Amino acid sequence: MLRFLARRLLVTLLVIACTSVLAFSLVHLSGDPAAAMAGEGASPADVESIRRLYGFDQPIHTQYFAWLGKILSGEFGRSFYLRQPVVSVLAEHAPVTAKLGLSALAFALLLSIPLGILAGLYRDTVIDRFALGLAVAGQALPSFLFALLLVYIFGVQLRWLPISGSATWLHFVLPSVTLGYYAAPALMRLTRSGMIDVMQSDHVRTARAYGLPAWRVVLLHALRSAIIPVVSLAAVQLGFMLGGSIVVETVFSLKGLGLLAWQSIQRSDIEVIQSILLVIALIYALLTLLADLLNALIDPRIRIS
Amino acid sequence: MTAATLTAMSPRRLALHRMLRHGSFWFGGGAILLILLVALVGPLFTLDPVAQNLGARLIPPVWDVRGSWTHPLGTDQLGRDLLARLVDGARVSMFIGVATVLVSGLIGTAMGMAAGYFGGRVDLVINFLITIRLTLPVVLVALVVVAVVGSSLTVLVVVIGLLLWDRFAVVTRSATQRLAYSDFVIAARAIGSSTPRILLVEILPNIVGPLIVVATVEVAHAVLLEAALSFLGLGVKPPLASWGLMVAESKNQLLFRPWLIAIPGVALVTLVLAINLLGDALRDVVAPEGRA
Repeated sequence: MLRFLARRLLVTLLVIACTSVLAFSLVHLSGDPAAAMAGEGASPADVESIRRLYGFDQPIHTQYFAWLGKILSGEFGRSFYLRQPVVSVLAEHAPVTAKLGLSALAFALLLSIPLGILAGLYRDTVIDRFALGLAVAGQALPSFLFALLLVYIFGVQLRWLPISGSATWLHFVLPSVTLGYYAAPALMRLTRSGMIDVMQSDHVRTARAYGLPAWRVVLLHALRSAIIPVVSLAAVQLGFMLGGSIVVETVFSLKGLGLLAWQSIQRSDIEVIQSILLVIALIYALLTLLADLLNALIDPRIRIS
Repeated sequence: MTAATLTAMSPRRLALHRMLRHGSFWFGGGAILLILLVALVGPLFTLDPVAQNLGARLIPPVWDVRGSWTHPLGTDQLGRDLLARLVDGARVSMFIGVATVLVSGLIGTAMGMAAGYFGGRVDLVINFLITIRLTLPVVLVALVVVAVVGSSLTVLVVVIGLLLWDRFAVVTRSATQRLAYSDFVIAARAIGSSTPRILLVEILPNIVGPLIVVATVEVAHAVLLEAALSFLGLGVKPPLASWGLMVAESKNQLLFRPWLIAIPGVALVTLVLAINLLGDALRDVVAPEGRA
């Protein structure tokens, strides 16, 4: 296990190092970020002074290592649009995205696990078909459209829920449903197939033979072993949701990292964009590592190979 | 049908047979053909999708009392014919979907086959590349690149293609691994076939099944991604029409003229649903044992 852990940590570090190169170089694809930052109609002298100020006149690898050095010492640079250190901008926006991601995950699990259990227990029945149909329909509905649909039904027609901002927890209901719905199908399918497998296993058969009530067999004996892979997939899905939050946050005007990223892209606020890319990739890498460790813990075969 | 007739059929005929009895195949395939037809010949019959007429703004569809047959689906806030824009959007979606998958499929298949066939270090490196790709948030990276490089259909195809190759790589890798030590590959190697020949002539035709399934799913994925990017204002540029862009342009009409969003929305959902259903049918035919 220790060797497995060491190897996975090393790979994660390498992945993060490579993503940092990508996060850095993406912004430099156009060749001259200074012109983009100065905006249209800026004088050549202005562009030149921005270029000097941000060190864009240096060779690209010098810039990268200077940037990396700063990041490693906790210095993420300054947002040239907001005129604040990037760290404080991120700290201001991150809690909203964290709240959104976690509540979306909670919604996804609440929807997918009961459905998955039922679909697995009543395989090839109406319930199973319904669950799979919901999954297929869900994957075909773009998130921005689903968000607008929810806004129309619950915000405009029924007036039950707020549709914009992040003031109360009620503001998070519609965004979490939108975001969580996309994670649900995969989790549901995994719960379903896990239940189908485990219901045929020896320990469940024994539990049934003892004459335990059906709910005890399902919830205490079967679900316990079916749920662990679902938990590790949930960690990965949480990472995907952080990346996908950009659409949802834009529609619902939630002031999280996604909206910040979108606004910073519009403003060519380079240091903020780079930092968000890096932070999201970092969180994703760590969540994947967590999922891998969880899988290795329950399945010794993974540790050895 | 009895077991005897089943075994008498060749695998290919059996697959065809299974396909033709599949409801999803007919529904999905039919809807896609219809949209493809509309995209190809529709513009011959519709009005100019970019012609603005500020005197005829926001006309409702024909089923509304204020609607008229001049603009069957009504007009948008610049007085452009909605049906014409819908047809134009179908062209964009279809083009993006197919062109992107050609790019991502080529990259992913090449990488997956190399990883599966050579194994060892090659496999390690390619797995590492897949991990890096998965670590990057797709929408965010695409937005940044489009913002920096500028938006055009070519840029969109390249960017989306470069981002969506991972599933191709994963699937072809494991399919190739299964074949790398099969008898016919060993035989080909024994008679001195070159490595490119083994990969292209022996292995590739045998992994076409799973490849087509992934390609279908990825077309849907690409269509959705283009719609999301256009919705966020960094995809297809106006005056070109895209269903995602049409939804974005009418976002503030949600309250009073919801059909402006519903019409491109329904088109988008129909296309993606049809592709996914076709993909499901193909999966059942190609890998019936893995049917969930």
